[in-house]
Amino acid sequence: MQGQTEQEAQLAGLIVESLNLEDINPGDIDPEEALFGDGLGLDSIDALELALAITQKYGVQLKADDNDVQEVFSTLRSLNAFVEKNSS
Amino acid sequence: MTEQRSFPLTDRKADQIIALGAVGEIRVDSFMAQSICLSRQLPKHQYVINLCADRFQFLLGFCAALIAGQCTLMPPNRQSQTLERLRMVYPDSYSLGHSGENDYEMIPGDVLHMEPGSVDTQVPEIPANQLCAIAFTSGSTGASMPNVKYWETLREGSLSNAKLLMSDVVGRVNLLATVPPQHMWGFETSILLPLFFDAAICHLSPFYAQDIADALQSMPSPRVLISSPVHLDALLKSGVRPANIDRIFTATAPLSKQLAQALEARFEARVLDIFGCTESGILAIRDTSREELWTLAEAFELEVRKDEVVIRAQHLPEDVALPDLIELVGDGRFRWLGRHQDMINIAGKRGSLTDVNNRLKAIPGVTDGVIFMRYGSINRLAAMVVAPGLKPSDILRELKSQIEPVFLPRPLYLLDKLPRQETGKLSTKAVAELFEEIRNSRAARDTR
Repeated sequence: MQGQTEQEAQLAGLIVESLNLEDINPGDIDPEEALFGDGLGLDSIDALELALAITQKYGVQLKADDNDVQEVFSTLRSLNAFVEKNSS
Repeated sequence: MTEQRSFPLTDRKADQIIALGAVGEIRVDSFMAQSICLSRQLPKHQYVINLCADRFQFLLGFCAALIAGQCTLMPPNRQSQTLERLRMVYPDSYSLGHSGENDYEMIPGDVLHMEPGSVDTQVPEIPANQLCAIAFTSGSTGASMPNVKYWETLREGSLSNAKLLMSDVVGRVNLLATVPPQHMWGFETSILLPLFFDAAICHLSPFYAQDIADALQSMPSPRVLISSPVHLDALLKSGVRPANIDRIFTATAPLSKQLAQALEARFEARVLDIFGCTESGILAIRDTSREELWTLAEAFELEVRKDEVVIRAQHLPEDVALPDLIELVGDGRFRWLGRHQDMINIAGKRGSLTDVNNRLKAIPGVTDGVIFMRYGSINRLAAMVVAPGLKPSDILRELKSQIEPVFLPRPLYLLDKLPRQETGKLSTKAVAELFEEIRNSRAARDTR
């Protein structure tokens, strides 16, 4: 598994905490693994909850270009990249 | 010679606006021309699985299919397993989408980007008994239950909806929906309503709060938002300030009075709660901020039985029984008392708690277990399981292949023994107490 950067580790922690994924260790989330459907198995309710947690912590509003809700969220790495890019 | 009854595809006037598309305002007459043009180009099959997330494309695909005599299948989700199963049951079908992936048919660019403008087109007539669509509910066994929709039913239902939802509206409304057009709630409001009422549907299907705000910004007023409690709660908490909303319609889950009032205060919009189901369509409306009682649409009749309510209407092909408990109050008003204990509803998906529990206990290695509803800001299921030798992820993986993702319990705690009484029964109270105990002890144990 690829290693997590420090920012990715922090975001992984936020994912586990805000979504009550109690049996998952944030450090075990592969940055390139799918967050939705397969992989971590998050669903659309999680997407909303996580978006809110991210807004509250990083001040970033998530946006989905292209009608593809899951694009930004596809992996921990892509999600983190979005957050970093849009944080001031 | 028997006369075949039919109804026009739309009641609206040629120069009215039916959609706010990517190309701009789309008139009814150009939309009819587009639909007719597309209907001639569709692959020749009996069924079309309409997966368009873009609302205008869904509407266009649906109308073209109607004209071509094809029935639109509306899958409950986009999971590959669901779509594969659907294609197996309806082999004479094709998928219509717009992402260009796999074997989706895409709406040809020249049809999609047809110049809007005045076109002399006859509005097609659709036979009253034409099978237009099949909606699918998440059945209690996890398999989708088909629900057939004939043109007459969809038309009469839409006229009823227009009366119930928009009777006090003057002039054109502009609709934005966050709910998928494949779900009955999204279908009736964002797809069918514009065919029978002076409403223009925005082509966008926003998900995140900022996207919703941006979409509203792009629309003229009056703006009507069609959404659900989960989404509206997220919108409220996000802090975004969208352009002025005239009214908000919400359905798929109970709306709390608190959320209704908070939405009204923040957005200065009327918030109207809608009660309905896939089988019958929209049934009733309530001003949840102010009232407890629902107002039933005039087209329907309710009969209260022991653990269910039976819904009847002239335009429904058959009576519908719902596992809901209601109390008729007279004058077309009723009180909703709750759902039959076994039925759960999460994110608009219905399921049976008993069924989910049976599946859990049938997993090899699970000797005992209970899945129950956890109430919080977002309702979810949680589980406590006795399964020596298994990890939570093993059990979840097994369940995942059988039930809707939103029904997967979270969290799932492993323990040595469930607090069953001597009779073998498990009281709700004991389950709740034990769960809280485990949760608290875990929270105390975790150090960060």
